Amino acid sequence: MPFETAFLATVLPELILLATACAVLVLDLYLNDEQRGWNHNLAILGLAATLGTVGLLSNNGVTIAFSGSFIRDPFGDLLKGIILILTIFTFVYSRDYMRERGLWVGEYHVLVLFATLGMLIMVSAHSFLTLYLGLELLALCLYPLVAFDRDSKPGAEAAMKYFVLGALGSGMLLYGISMLYGATGSFGFADVAEVVNAEGLENKILVFGLVFVLIGVAFKFGAVPFHMWLPDVYQGAPMPVVLFLASAPKIAAFAMATRILIDSLGALQADWGEILMILAILSIGLGNVVAIAQTNIKRMLAYSTISHVGFIFLGLLAGTQEGYAAAMFYTVVYALMAAGAFGVLAMISINGLEVEQLDDLKGLNDRDAWLAAMLALMMFSMAGVPPAVGFFAKLLVLDAVVSVGLTWLAVVAVVFSIIGAFYYLRVIKLLYFDKAADSTPLRLAGDAKIAITVNGLAVLLLGIFPASLLGICNAAFSG
Amino acid sequence: MGFEKFLFFLFAIITLFSAGMVVTRRNPVHAALYLVLTFVATAALWLLIEAEFLGIVLVLVYVGAVMVLFLFVVMMLDIDVAAMRAQFIRYLPLGLLIVGLMMFNMILVLGPGHFGLEHFAKPAAAALDYSNTEVLGRELYTTYLYQFEIAAVILLVAIVAAIRLTLRRRPETKYLDPSAQVRVRKGPDRLRIVKMPTEPVPAPVSQAAAGGKNGDDQ
Amino acid sequence: MAFLYLLIVLAPLAGAIGAGFFSARLGRVGAHRMTILGVGISCALSLAVLAGFIWGDLKVFNDSIYTWMIADGIRFEIGFLVDRLTALMMATVTFVSFMVHIYTIGYMADDEHNWPQGSLAGKHSYQRFFSYISLFTFSMLMLVMSNNFIQLFFGWEAVGLVSYLLIGFWATRESAVYANLKAFLVNRVGDFGFILGIAAVGMYFNSMNYSEVFAQAPQFADTQVAILGGVSLMTLICILLFIGAMGKSAQVPLHVWLPDSMEGPTPISALIHAATMVTAGIFMVARMSPLYELSTTALSFVLIIGAVTAFFMGLIGLVQNDIKRVVAYSTLSQLGYMVAALGASAYAAGIFHLMTHAFFKALLFLAAGSVIIAMHHDQDIRNMGGLWKKMPITWLTALVGSLALIAFPGFSGFFSKDAIIEAVGHSQVFGAHFAWILLTVGALVTALYSFRMYYLVFHGKPRMDEHTRSHLHETPWVVTGPLIALAIPSIFIGWFTVEPLLVSNWLGDAIHVAHEHDSLHALAEHWHGQMAFIEHGMHGWPFLLAMSGLGLATLIWWFGVKLMPNLDALLQRAGGPLTRILQDKYGFDDFNQRVFAGGGLGLGRLFWNAGDQVLIDGAVVNGSARSVGRLAGQVRWLQSGLLYHYAMAMIVGLVGLLTLYVVF
Repeated sequence: MPFETAFLATVLPELILLATACAVLVLDLYLNDEQRGWNHNLAILGLAATLGTVGLLSNNGVTIAFSGSFIRDPFGDLLKGIILILTIFTFVYSRDYMRERGLWVGEYHVLVLFATLGMLIMVSAHSFLTLYLGLELLALCLYPLVAFDRDSKPGAEAAMKYFVLGALGSGMLLYGISMLYGATGSFGFADVAEVVNAEGLENKILVFGLVFVLIGVAFKFGAVPFHMWLPDVYQGAPMPVVLFLASAPKIAAFAMATRILIDSLGALQADWGEILMILAILSIGLGNVVAIAQTNIKRMLAYSTISHVGFIFLGLLAGTQEGYAAAMFYTVVYALMAAGAFGVLAMISINGLEVEQLDDLKGLNDRDAWLAAMLALMMFSMAGVPPAVGFFAKLLVLDAVVSVGLTWLAVVAVVFSIIGAFYYLRVIKLLYFDKAADSTPLRLAGDAKIAITVNGLAVLLLGIFPASLLGICNAAFSG
Repeated sequence: MGFEKFLFFLFAIITLFSAGMVVTRRNPVHAALYLVLTFVATAALWLLIEAEFLGIVLVLVYVGAVMVLFLFVVMMLDIDVAAMRAQFIRYLPLGLLIVGLMMFNMILVLGPGHFGLEHFAKPAAAALDYSNTEVLGRELYTTYLYQFEIAAVILLVAIVAAIRLTLRRRPETKYLDPSAQVRVRKGPDRLRIVKMPTEPVPAPVSQAAAGGKNGDDQ
Repeated sequence: MAFLYLLIVLAPLAGAIGAGFFSARLGRVGAHRMTILGVGISCALSLAVLAGFIWGDLKVFNDSIYTWMIADGIRFEIGFLVDRLTALMMATVTFVSFMVHIYTIGYMADDEHNWPQGSLAGKHSYQRFFSYISLFTFSMLMLVMSNNFIQLFFGWEAVGLVSYLLIGFWATRESAVYANLKAFLVNRVGDFGFILGIAAVGMYFNSMNYSEVFAQAPQFADTQVAILGGVSLMTLICILLFIGAMGKSAQVPLHVWLPDSMEGPTPISALIHAATMVTAGIFMVARMSPLYELSTTALSFVLIIGAVTAFFMGLIGLVQNDIKRVVAYSTLSQLGYMVAALGASAYAAGIFHLMTHAFFKALLFLAAGSVIIAMHHDQDIRNMGGLWKKMPITWLTALVGSLALIAFPGFSGFFSKDAIIEAVGHSQVFGAHFAWILLTVGALVTALYSFRMYYLVFHGKPRMDEHTRSHLHETPWVVTGPLIALAIPSIFIGWFTVEPLLVSNWLGDAIHVAHEHDSLHALAEHWHGQMAFIEHGMHGWPFLLAMSGLGLATLIWWFGVKLMPNLDALLQRAGGPLTRILQDKYGFDDFNQRVFAGGGLGLGRLFWNAGDQVLIDGAVVNGSARSVGRLAGQVRWLQSGLLYHYAMAMIVGLVGLLTLYVVF
């Protein structure tokens, strides 16, 4: 049956989000500059409603709708929930930053909401076509967001690079999809999986397509050597956009990787596992080493992202249920940490200061001890220092890798993450042991403080009690 | 070799040739025109496999709209062809190497070994009243409804993004507002009759100044 | 039930968090109200649980509440095992803690005088103190209620941490910082053994859960481990675990931290370093009885260590002049009695003594604290005397505590201590005879030091200066109230609990005693009621020695000091080298200082010079940092900022991977 009205109920979260985005688009026309807060409130309300609907519709079963192009399962529900929460965080963190720079206009909310919609579509895609369209929707929102500050030259340059490289990446993905279509005669993950299971590695077309598709995935994640856009975009884009870009889309990219690699090309694990291994080693190595040489905090965190992507790939390439769950845990945790870290940076970029260089963080502890503590917590977590959750994430991934006999790989990863610890700890040193150039205390909005506290506590509590999230991650892959 | 095959090779060769010319032409306008040729030849290939709708859309949308727009842009921009040329030569060896490897791979995978005619049976001929367009429409609005709607959202986003990035008011730019021009009425806007008392003959300056002073004193 | 137990544990934690993090907002009164409420809830519920076990038919609760993680099939969980042993410990811990909370309001009332003017460390010290003691209660409850080794270890370390924080509470005093560091380091030695023991359990039993481990234990009774030429696995595990207990329960030679811990405020000495935390080791061994029963060697080791501690630490108490230190050495000695009971497989007697001791020792400490408040924080007993007239309540309650301590017939300490000595006498393990002699003579020593202190403090001529004497008065009700509340169980609790605990096996399955080790068997067989037990005790050596000690003490420090005020000093001088040995505490501190501290320092310096500076800093760290830096600089040029470079990199990557996977 091609279409049933009941399908609309399963995509209710997406519909609500779409309605919210359109409502903001229209509402913005009737607001003057003092009333822009309504955009903000409406957007958050819509996201919360979407989150609630995702929760309400969630159950342990699997629903497939729209002729096999849409799937709702517990895995997707969790990732969607986290994407929505991170988007809410993004709005809360970014308000003062955007308002101060005159960027707090309706388009910002509209584009972020549409990007979120794109991510939700990606997460619950059950065919290559849906996945690709979701990806394009997301990317098409991100390009203008990167150039959102129209007067910023670096912003325009970054957006241009992102756009061209993104088009290239999408082209490769699309070419790979067409190859898979040519070999299997279908776009649906389930149908592709059927053929792939039957033919496996024998079919060279599948392998050919796989490489292209994998490159699309690697580009979205920013794995070496498809990472080049990442540092430039992080540097050029406004801080809240980086915050958004670094957190939620990583989760969508993970969903994309899982849906493609595990759900549909699971039988080719031997091949994609090896490709991921190459990409993972390159990413962990290059990311950690180059980050040390950075003086710009956004670039530094960009390279740190690259190295974390390597760790996520480590979990995936293990090819076991344990490894997938570890990778999922890592992705969620990383998105939380990135949101927190960039959130703090966005929050302190006020009163005319634009935090760009590492030196801008000097003595933050004297200006706002709580924010400094939160940023330090994020850094500890990214470096993998217990009890912050980053430690657990790394441990689980390494455990998964070791349990499939790739101990040398785990050793390489550990060595590079020790090198990486240096630049995270350097931030902490700057926060606490250096004198600030300007030590006037910061005045921050209450809701942003609450959000960063929730974010920080999540990183800490998940580190102390990882079982809850880990249990959900395990359950997502055990079915 | 049937006539169909001959047509296929003819258009395929045209496509490849014109695509090569797009990349190597010095003059961007020439390159763009070769791209038009590429599209037309591709459209012919579509027609050969009885995908009439797609062939027509390719010509209408790409040749008719996109490429014309593109030509406008190319003509308006001042591109330093010589500098591009220098870069082209510099990277040519690496480019050739990559192209060579890529070709090798593609021939290996996409060659007759996998995609030869013997691997794919000839599809049954469609009925006489078969309409490509109708089937596409039916599929789009039923099976691919979800994707279709997403594509609509993507277009909406593209509009929002374009407006955000380009629509702005520059205070230093002088421009005419046509709606304001049209709205002007003869009545009070363009012509105004003002009633005022007759002016006295201007007095000499010194007297006036003195008079003003006197006036102040009064 | 899980909710109830969770509430018992979390109520003090909530108080601790509130008082600790919101100290400025809550203020002093808010902080102590909040923490006392938390501990009060916990105490009331614990007593209810205990009552449920005594009069009701509460079922043993053994369940996991939260799975922290699973590694290699071993589940790391948070769970509770609440049986009668646990209920008894919970009630004891929360009751004493509750008393101490109330008492602290009086003791810490003028704490700002203990800090230098305007000291940052002293800011909100009052609230911080309450936060710490509530946190301690939480940690101790986690320890005793645990149903697995990991949570036990968590509680174990958490109480150690709080103990460290509280010994060094007055952080601006150098002696306090020294003492807390010492306590921390010595405990580290014990904990090292402890965690090795837990690791051995994990390695062989592949589980952290008590009941699973205990169920498997008999299968491993004959397993040998190839360490030191072959040791029985059970002996190894038990001794390693016991090394942890030696650290926490201050047994020779890891006892050195406990006397120094008296640098902390007195409520802490009462709560942590007398009544509860130091008994964690005793509790742990009793809990592990199914393991210990499988190793006679370990039992014998435990017995001898306990007896040695009991006797020799008591002796040191004789020459101490600091009121708190006397009580501290008496604590050491009493802990020795409990450990000896464990060694003799008389776990019930050990736990029994633990409970009675918790009450009378907390009482004695709080009484000492009351004296210290009255004396304006002078702790030297040579400056006291004749306090009984001014402080009647403190005087009477201290008398109750002392009588209980020396095992005066009818007082709670009598039942427990007599049972221990009797059980050791019946024990068959190696060294039992030797231990019995030490413990029996120990009774004499106990009586001597207890009443030496008692008489010097409360009787005789007042020796304090004029200013202090004119200000002497009884302490406020928040101090005397807990004294009275603790004095009552110090007298009666033994009478009421001896029969269920020792005779009718009330603890039930919580404790496992092998038939051939059952040293309390004889006592239970000849049980004819409490009066008969007292009469029987009056014919025994311990009673005779204790009474003669009491008589001797009365003779010397009451009558003798009346005649000759400097008799105590004269006696100490007459002791000659013996006194010096005791005053040097057998040279443990000097030995540790020279060999371990000095040796450690030398070794550290050697490693620092040769290993760290040359090898690690020079070659590894700086060397690799240099090469990483160079590498980073070189890789950076790849990121040229030019778009076609980036695109080229992507395409090269694509073609590389394609060639790798399609061709090969």
